[in-house]
Amino acid sequence: MPGMTKRKDSGEKLAQMSLCITDVAENRDKAAFARLFDHYAPLIRAYSLAREPAADLVADELVQEVMTRVWLKAASYNPRLANLNTWIFTLARNCRIDYLRRNSRYATEIDPTDIFNDMEDEGPGPFQLAQQSRVEENIRAGLKQLPREQSEILTKVYLEGKSHQQASDELKLPLGTVKSRVRLALKKLEVLVTR
Amino acid sequence: MNKSVNHPYDELLTAYSAGSLPLSQALCISAHLEHCQSCGQKLQRLNRVGSQMMQQLKPAPASADLKNQLLDRLDSLTEEQAPVESKASEPDSSIPRCLRQFIESRYEDLPWKRVSTDIHSVELCRDSNGARVELLKIRPGGSATTHTHLGDEYTVILEGSFSDESGLYGQGDFMVKGTRDKHTPVATRDRECICLAVTEGPIQFTGFISRLLNPFIRRSYA
Ligand SMILES: [Zn+2]
Repeated sequence: MPGMTKRKDSGEKLAQMSLCITDVAENRDKAAFARLFDHYAPLIRAYSLAREPAADLVADELVQEVMTRVWLKAASYNPRLANLNTWIFTLARNCRIDYLRRNSRYATEIDPTDIFNDMEDEGPGPFQLAQQSRVEENIRAGLKQLPREQSEILTKVYLEGKSHQQASDELKLPLGTVKSRVRLALKKLEVLVTR
Repeated sequence: MNKSVNHPYDELLTAYSAGSLPLSQALCISAHLEHCQSCGQKLQRLNRVGSQMMQQLKPAPASADLKNQLLDRLDSLTEEQAPVESKASEPDSSIPRCLRQFIESRYEDLPWKRVSTDIHSVELCRDSNGARVELLKIRPGGSATTHTHLGDEYTVILEGSFSDESGLYGQGDFMVKGTRDKHTPVATRDRECICLAVTEGPIQFTGFISRLLNPFIRRSYA
């Protein structure tokens, strides 16, 4: 089954990368950092380009910001709280928020650094830990099976960083339709269930 | 840990996770999350959606220059870090972490301004969308003036509790009131109640004192 190979590949990659981050944290290993860069920098650039196509300088700046934080915060990364891919995503999201704030036409003094402290939350118990890989796999496989109209909106929301209202304007869909498609998609991924 | 019964709705948590929520609203979510494990877990799953979507993007290769520049800078980065870390671990347990950027020590040391016999307020900051971020303090048993507002109002209870037409709210509880909702929060008698309030448009108080206040408030938004 091709799906199985793919899952094995992404799992193995994640395991390799997790070893690298441990090496960076414990030994300040630059070769391990370079391997993290090789894997994540192209994904961070793609994430930035999804929001601002062709803005290569912005994408490079985001890579610098995120990878700088990876180097500085490697020791505070806790694999019990989030897998490495999720940690990198939240770093990229936080750096983008900060970038947008600094370049906004209207200034605000609100510093996002202390708002999004995803890593410092109380850790999940053993029961949640056992569930995490199942949740992860549901989302990974589920994303590929979403109807196009739902994945299109999730892309607007998560990758392009659009509000529901902006997504509704750009896709020329009623706001209610956008909201219900996001909900349907997240339900299918089993993200909104309360455990 | 799960003290709160009133949670941000899924749409807000999703926008928070995706990074598209105005920072003033994100402050409210963050303050709620400190009291709510179930929203915390939901948020972790939402973050995984973003993470998986990022993993499934077509990689956009980075130049060798970018990599080498960064590798060359690594040693100089290490030294800058130390003071930042020590500041982040400031020990002040009762104030939500996201608000410590505005509150140096204790709530009572803030420059509170009297709004009515029952209410004091202090503005913390403005968001880039014009939203006003403030703390409200209602004295024990005191009532917050019924008011209407031009935009949505987001509230998180930080200390104490209050009740209004729709029920009793305690520490960590999160609520959104729309433009047409009139509500009259009354603090419980045992202690004062401190709330974080984010208001999107100018408040129009409907009480007597508020009519006196209104010209002033309107001007402060001009
Ligand atoms: Zn909650």
